[in-house]
Amino acid sequence: MILTSFVRIFLFASQSFWRNIWLSIVTITIIVLTFVSINFLIVINVISGAATQIIENKVDISLYFKPDITEPQVLEVESYLSSLTQVKEIAYVSQKDALEKFRKKHLQDQMIIDSLEELSANPIGATLQVKAKNISDYPAIIGVLDNSKYNQLILDKNFDDHKVYIEKIKSLSDNLKKIGFSLSAVFILIASLIVFNTIRVAIYTHRQEIAVMKLVGATNWFVQGPFLLEAIFYGVIACVLAIIIVYPLIGFVQPHLNNFFLTEEFSLINYFNDNFWLTFGLELLAVILLNIISSSIAIRRYLKV
Amino acid sequence: MIIFKNLSKIYPPDVAALKNINLHIRPKEFVSIVGRSGTGKTTLVRILIAEESPTKGEIIVGGWDITNIRQSEIPVLRRQIGVVFQDFKLLSKKTVFENIAFALEVCGTDREKIKEIIPQVLKIVGLENKQDRYPRQLSGGEQQRVAIARALVHRPKILVADEPTGNLDAFNTREIVDLLLKINEFGTTVLLVSHNSEVVNSINKRVITLDNGQVSSDQKVGKYLL
Repeated sequence: MILTSFVRIFLFASQSFWRNIWLSIVTITIIVLTFVSINFLIVINVISGAATQIIENKVDISLYFKPDITEPQVLEVESYLSSLTQVKEIAYVSQKDALEKFRKKHLQDQMIIDSLEELSANPIGATLQVKAKNISDYPAIIGVLDNSKYNQLILDKNFDDHKVYIEKIKSLSDNLKKIGFSLSAVFILIASLIVFNTIRVAIYTHRQEIAVMKLVGATNWFVQGPFLLEAIFYGVIACVLAIIIVYPLIGFVQPHLNNFFLTEEFSLINYFNDNFWLTFGLELLAVILLNIISSSIAIRRYLKV
Repeated sequence: MIIFKNLSKIYPPDVAALKNINLHIRPKEFVSIVGRSGTGKTTLVRILIAEESPTKGEIIVGGWDITNIRQSEIPVLRRQIGVVFQDFKLLSKKTVFENIAFALEVCGTDREKIKEIIPQVLKIVGLENKQDRYPRQLSGGEQQRVAIARALVHRPKILVADEPTGNLDAFNTREIVDLLLKINEFGTTVLLVSHNSEVVNSINKRVITLDNGQVSSDQKVGKYLL
């Protein structure tokens, strides 16, 4: 009997869906737009997170030592810095390697190469490249160095340029997130109203049937069932359509991201694949819940017969 | 079968539709409830099928106190009380068969059982050859017979007919009254709500007259007195 009732609820829901096909199409379109805008927000979030991560990984403090500072002195500084809790890793570039790097960098500039040849001693000091555990730790590391006895050994330190880039990315992604949130909020609101209205219209067109159902002893869940199921249809179809739209879009964006980040490590498609059920499952669940609440409110007055 | 004990219904702020109704309707009885418009006849029916709840008093149907019936129990009650109305309440896009089947479908009856029951009730109401017609293809009397068939599919112990002949001519009215009497002979308690004196006078069964929300007379074999 329960199975028979469920099959009938399914049939009634399908009939209602097809008989009001234009209303169904409009409702599904709005839900699809809501899904796409939410996924846009997710993409922005993921890209900005990845961009920040990639840049943060590239950030380090380069400590350029004076040319007359010996290797044991540099290694002593390295040992001192290693003891700091904020420091993640330190790379040592010897004077020789530093000179070699400098030569390679300026290979096209004959004047610099000639000048280097004329010098009897290596004019370039050793370098320590210090990576912090967190980007916010860099000022503290520099502060410690500035106040230590080793400060006089160091010719120059660089860090500030990266900080500007990171701030810019954070500010850009924050703005994009705000736009995404507003867009999603607007679409969620519109989708809620349209779903609510669609179900109301569907219920209104069936009011006579509902009255007869109640009169002959149909239970409330049987009366309500087709409308709730219809609402679930909208959610599922819209979710499938959103997946069909979102995947080609991220496939289109991916090569541009690779060019932008100069790396192929970061893949939006992989992100969506890895989080498929979490992303689309949660979105679907939320929309179904929203639809069920809307239809429950819309049908309430007709159930009082 | 049906007991109304000190039943009152007051609509806010202070419109008394029923005042202190005390009635006892026995099983297999045919009872006509008569009265002018606005005397509370329909309110009594609505309370009986739990569309409304009484303000005061008790109502017992088949030993079941439905005065404060729960929402979840209303479908059970309505499957035991068949109801027909003046406006038939048929679904225009469904055939005679589908209209009657609908009452069984919504209650979870399986297809085979539906196919077995419907020809039987159509035979009782005399529409066995019209099961594929749509309501618009039937006369008023035939439409009311479909409504009666729909009310009978659950094999109710009580059939309530609220002004069933209100939209019908004299010939169809007689047919419907005869049908209700036939159903009563099969053992179903029938409550006929009417303000048509000719109909009530022709039946020669118990007549309860309502006036201004109160029972003004209750005759075992009565006539329309107002």
